[in-house]
Amino acid sequence: MIQVHQVTKSYKNFIALNDINLNISKGEIYALLGPNGAGKTTTINLILGFLAPDSGSISVAGLNPSKNKTDVRKTMAYIPENVSLYPHLSGIENLDYFCKLTGLKYGNNALRGFLNQCGLQEEAHQKKIAGYSKGMRQKVGIAIALAKNASVLLLDEPASGLDPSASSELSALLKKLATDGTTILMASHDLFRVRETANRIGILNQGKLVKELDAKSVSANDLESIYLNFMKN
Amino acid sequence: MYNIVKNEWQALIHNKRLTGLLGGITLLLVVIAYFGVQDARIGQDKKQQAKEQIRQQWESIGDYNPHGAAHFGTYTFKPTTALTALDNGINNTVGTVLQLEGHRQNEIIHSPDSQSLMQSRFGTLKPAVVLQFIIPLLLIFLAFASVSSEKEQGRLKLLVMQGVSTRKLLFAKAISYWIIGVGILILALGIQLMLFAGDLHADIVYRMLLLFLFYSLFYWIVCAVTVYLSAALKNNTAALTSMLALWVIWAIFLPKIAGAISEETHPLPSRQAFSTAMQEDRSKGIDGHNPLSEQEEKLKDSILQVYNVETVDDLPINFDGLVMQADEDFGSKVWDKHFGALDAILEQQKKTFQWSGLINPFASLQSLSMGLAGTDNWHHTHFKQEAETYRRVFIKTLNDKHAYGGSKTGDWGWTTDQEFYNSVADFDYETPYIKHALPVYKTDMALMGLWFFGSFFLLLFGKSKNTLS
Repeated sequence: MIQVHQVTKSYKNFIALNDINLNISKGEIYALLGPNGAGKTTTINLILGFLAPDSGSISVAGLNPSKNKTDVRKTMAYIPENVSLYPHLSGIENLDYFCKLTGLKYGNNALRGFLNQCGLQEEAHQKKIAGYSKGMRQKVGIAIALAKNASVLLLDEPASGLDPSASSELSALLKKLATDGTTILMASHDLFRVRETANRIGILNQGKLVKELDAKSVSANDLESIYLNFMKN
Repeated sequence: MYNIVKNEWQALIHNKRLTGLLGGITLLLVVIAYFGVQDARIGQDKKQQAKEQIRQQWESIGDYNPHGAAHFGTYTFKPTTALTALDNGINNTVGTVLQLEGHRQNEIIHSPDSQSLMQSRFGTLKPAVVLQFIIPLLLIFLAFASVSSEKEQGRLKLLVMQGVSTRKLLFAKAISYWIIGVGILILALGIQLMLFAGDLHADIVYRMLLLFLFYSLFYWIVCAVTVYLSAALKNNTAALTSMLALWVIWAIFLPKIAGAISEETHPLPSRQAFSTAMQEDRSKGIDGHNPLSEQEEKLKDSILQVYNVETVDDLPINFDGLVMQADEDFGSKVWDKHFGALDAILEQQKKTFQWSGLINPFASLQSLSMGLAGTDNWHHTHFKQEAETYRRVFIKTLNDKHAYGGSKTGDWGWTTDQEFYNSVADFDYETPYIKHALPVYKTDMALMGLWFFGSFFLLLFGKSKNTLS
């Protein structure tokens, strides 16, 4: 579903990504693990088509995101670290607005359905976004992706700032989406949450993909050791 | 695009500070427009009363000597309309009342600015001042964060992921604020039209429509450039400071610089030099009150030859009347020469100033606003020339009566009856139809059009690395 083949990206004299290869299958949850500045957000921006690689190729469902921006973005949804919506609108109004931007018009029941699917409580639907927690805003962000029927979901530091309960809810939601066929790429430095959520983990350090492993084949302690080992080297 | 516009307005309504600012400025405009119209109405009524009184005095002058009547003269007034109440241009500086009399061309008087203790750059507060200076500032304050806040809040990527192109976003944002500017403009012009409803005619309506068009174009330019800078620059602060700096340059510095360049390249003579030159030329002609001048002798010889008499006492006409008229004719030539030269310099200055619109759309707007309101120098000159043309006919009628009406040379006590004075038509000035005035503003219109299309293409094709960073 997502192929990143020998991609390199530099900013002036700084090499952000160095010969990265990724292959993410349909319905898979892939986690990019790495410290700040490792190249996680750059990878996401390249896949979203906000940046073009210096060399190499990227393909999402067979399309080049730099050249076929419109078509690729129709199939993708993006949840940034801070999901900032319009504070003067409620959760359901925000969802309605973002849907209308894509040309989709849903009735109130359908919109409530998307929010319920994401675990946002009914009583919160009509409240202004300004009063939402980070976790609640993320749920609206995911509801936007659902409403759009996105087959690819990219998340940047989704667990950052969430309490354990909200983080756990998010993991469960992402797993459910993957089961329904959504391909998910998440960038994070939360070892525990990544192991809990992802199918596969790629460790990114100083622009290089240093290790890929099956999330379930390694314990939390082992993952931590492997990760820290690569960080030291 | 409709959804983005609607969302912008909803956000504005929820922002109490901005709503308060918008409401306050709109109220200010309504108050200024209302009191401006009342003020104009009072001025209009006073002018009408004065005109009627002067005519009544003329029509009850009784049996009077025509030369004496020429010195009695009359007064004429620049018209007050819904447009002058909107933008009074240079009228407050150059005056609105002109005395027409024999032997001299007076200056237009009653300039409120010359009598005011409060001299300010903006003069009397008319709706045009609010529409030109304050509404664009308001639009800048409303629009400066339109795209930069989407970037700062992290919503821009979400919008793009929903299929909204940067181009569509910029246009929608610009349109949402432009509509607010146009709405305020409609309110201001609507008040003028409503309160002057009884005095409207087709030309005023055409001028109003053109005013609406060009102010709308200017507001589009301000909105488009503000939204572009909001997208192109790194953050809200950079966008606001840049656009405010541009507004100050457009509204304050460039007009002063353009004015200085116009005056430097086409300098006007000083008042003293102008008066001296006119007096010098005047002194070469016939002086109607000095019977010893050389030119008068030549005239006398030619008239005596025509009538085949020996002395002026033998003439069947009043030679004094002919001398008066010859004096007038010469004075008119001197006036035409000097004021013609002055008007030519002013025209060159205006053209130079108009071309500054290439880098400053505000200059084009001001020129068009005053021109369409009929309160700029071109209309002032038209009024002056029409009044002078009437004065010449008026004085000639009186001088001819003095010469050929039945009196003899030296008979300064001769009078003619009221019936003759009633037959002398009053001066009714009409502002020229806009179709005759429009060619004067073709540069302003063309440059405004250029700026409009330029700002349009700026949103369409303008690229910035900051838009999605």
